[in-house]
Amino acid sequence: MEVSSLPISASHRGKLISAGYSSLSSLSSVSPSKLAQDLKISENEVLEILKVVSARKWVDKIENRSHAIMNGAQTAWDILHEEESSICITTSCSDLDEILGGGIRCKEVTEIGGVPGIGKTQLGIQLAVNVQIPADYGGLGGKAIYIDTEGSFMVERASQIAEACAEDMLEYNSLLRKDSQACRVDKPPKAFMDNIFYFRICTYTEQIAVVNYLEKFINEHKDIKIVIIDSITFHFRQEFEDMALRTRLLSGMALKLMKLAKKFNLAVVLLNQVTTKYNEGSFQLTLALGDSWAHASTNRIILYWNGNERYAYIDKSPSMRSASAPYAVTSRGIRNSASNCKRVKLM
Amino acid sequence: MKPEDLLRHPLPTQTPKLTLGCPILDRFLGGGIPCDTITEIFAESGTGKTQLSLQLLLAAQLPISRGGLSASSLYLHSEFPFPSRRLHQLSFYRPHLPQNPLDRIFVEPLHSTDHLLDVLPRLDFLVPKLNIKLIVIDSIAALFRGEYENTPLELKRRSGVFFKISSKLKFLAREFGLAVVLTNQVVDVMGSSNNLRIGNSMSLCSSGRTVCAALGLSWANCVNMRLFMWREEEKVGMSEEERLGEGDGSFQRLQTRRFIRVVFAPHLPDSSCEFVIRREGILGVS
Repeated sequence: MEVSSLPISASHRGKLISAGYSSLSSLSSVSPSKLAQDLKISENEVLEILKVVSARKWVDKIENRSHAIMNGAQTAWDILHEEESSICITTSCSDLDEILGGGIRCKEVTEIGGVPGIGKTQLGIQLAVNVQIPADYGGLGGKAIYIDTEGSFMVERASQIAEACAEDMLEYNSLLRKDSQACRVDKPPKAFMDNIFYFRICTYTEQIAVVNYLEKFINEHKDIKIVIIDSITFHFRQEFEDMALRTRLLSGMALKLMKLAKKFNLAVVLLNQVTTKYNEGSFQLTLALGDSWAHASTNRIILYWNGNERYAYIDKSPSMRSASAPYAVTSRGIRNSASNCKRVKLM
Repeated sequence: MKPEDLLRHPLPTQTPKLTLGCPILDRFLGGGIPCDTITEIFAESGTGKTQLSLQLLLAAQLPISRGGLSASSLYLHSEFPFPSRRLHQLSFYRPHLPQNPLDRIFVEPLHSTDHLLDVLPRLDFLVPKLNIKLIVIDSIAALFRGEYENTPLELKRRSGVFFKISSKLKFLAREFGLAVVLTNQVVDVMGSSNNLRIGNSMSLCSSGRTVCAALGLSWANCVNMRLFMWREEEKVGMSEEERLGEGDGSFQRLQTRRFIRVVFAPHLPDSSCEFVIRREGILGVS
């Protein structure tokens, strides 16, 4: 925006330009007295000019929606618009996607917890594969960082899930696009594996170091759209003498992850264990790491057994209502629960 | 050590596995016991945990082409006595072993959890020096079951020790590519209503009793893969001669059938397999 287009008197305009104030931004940081000196006019006149300038800038902001009162700030409208246009990472289980509002969201920290053997790692691996589904197939076409603190990531299983995902894409292709040219394998399973950056962590010091290093790593490796930590808990459940230190370390890590999610527009998924909590005379199951940690994540999903079926329950979410949905762990990965399909059909 | 050193990229295509020494059981476990992780086997006494452990100690010495790790193994035992005779017997019947296999099996008795915590740091240099690729702890439950009282504070302290041991073992497993096998005992489940379910099955039965793994929920978080072995006593119909001989069957012959099941594992579906214990070791039945 140029000074020449400002609705001020021609003499003022000329003085401004000849004094070197050619753009609006050059006027934003100057003090009125300095400007009065430079232009050799009275301070009252200067204040008039600055009033016009700030009014003009305000109009610009609303028109462009790009600049803000402060750097980096956004209006609620901008954020809503962005959220509506953002793509979620599917869990490959449509019932679960539905209660999550489409899947795992970018720019958010999602915590998933459950008892051993419920399928936390399976869901983690599934997401590391699904984030790579190309945009043509409604995915993000991104890459994944998998931080394994427990040693449960199995390459055999990951390539099995990747193969099933590639097959599904091929099937989708042949259904949707009849032309033979499009019916080719876009992504061999090997490529899926190459796009998973796997860190194996053995102490909590290593875990903190890697979380601190992530920003640099993501800067160097574009297209990373998901960071999965499996699990956030393991190394923090050893004998920590100083529980206050543990809380500080954990909340520091949570803040860093939250910042990464915002800055690089990526999803952060933290897997957590469950523990028993003594409450009013009985033991109850809760996610590990205590009450202050509960604030660390945007969304919390609890996985549990209901009879012989696995269920996921939204425990905390700013935008989705509490709901639960069944899912199944199959040889091809996370899928809809088979018995649920029957129920839907019956109705 | 830099954080970028912890990145493993590109990923290997296969996790190294240790054979169980039986093709049927190997197929059941997708190739064998995986390295780099902790495998737990729990069963009631007399089902075959120790038998399987001994077999693994020998299998680790097999050349890599035969599914072994061509390395030594370490056996930490808290259940006494050490079954040296059976190990010696097995070493004759297992094929393809190198000369004097017992020389490459290191044995250390464990008397308490503190003792185990003393032993673990020493392994940092012992494991590479002795070329150990398999650690078996038989059993982890025996260490803990006497030592802690059943109060919330003691249990909290106990679970802290669980995570400490598990994290040290996982560190060794990653650092040296070890297979780690732990055995665990069972406890009876009382009242099935508010029973916490861990893994693939609602209830596990052994010898007609409903059981679950000892050491509770927090320990279950410490292992990567859990296998359950159980046995069933089955009445067998008497043979023709017996029936002709003594008339009414005051004797009933009981036959023990043994099974193994995946309770949870990151790479295996819920499945089970029958096995038998013979002089030459544990063999799967297809």
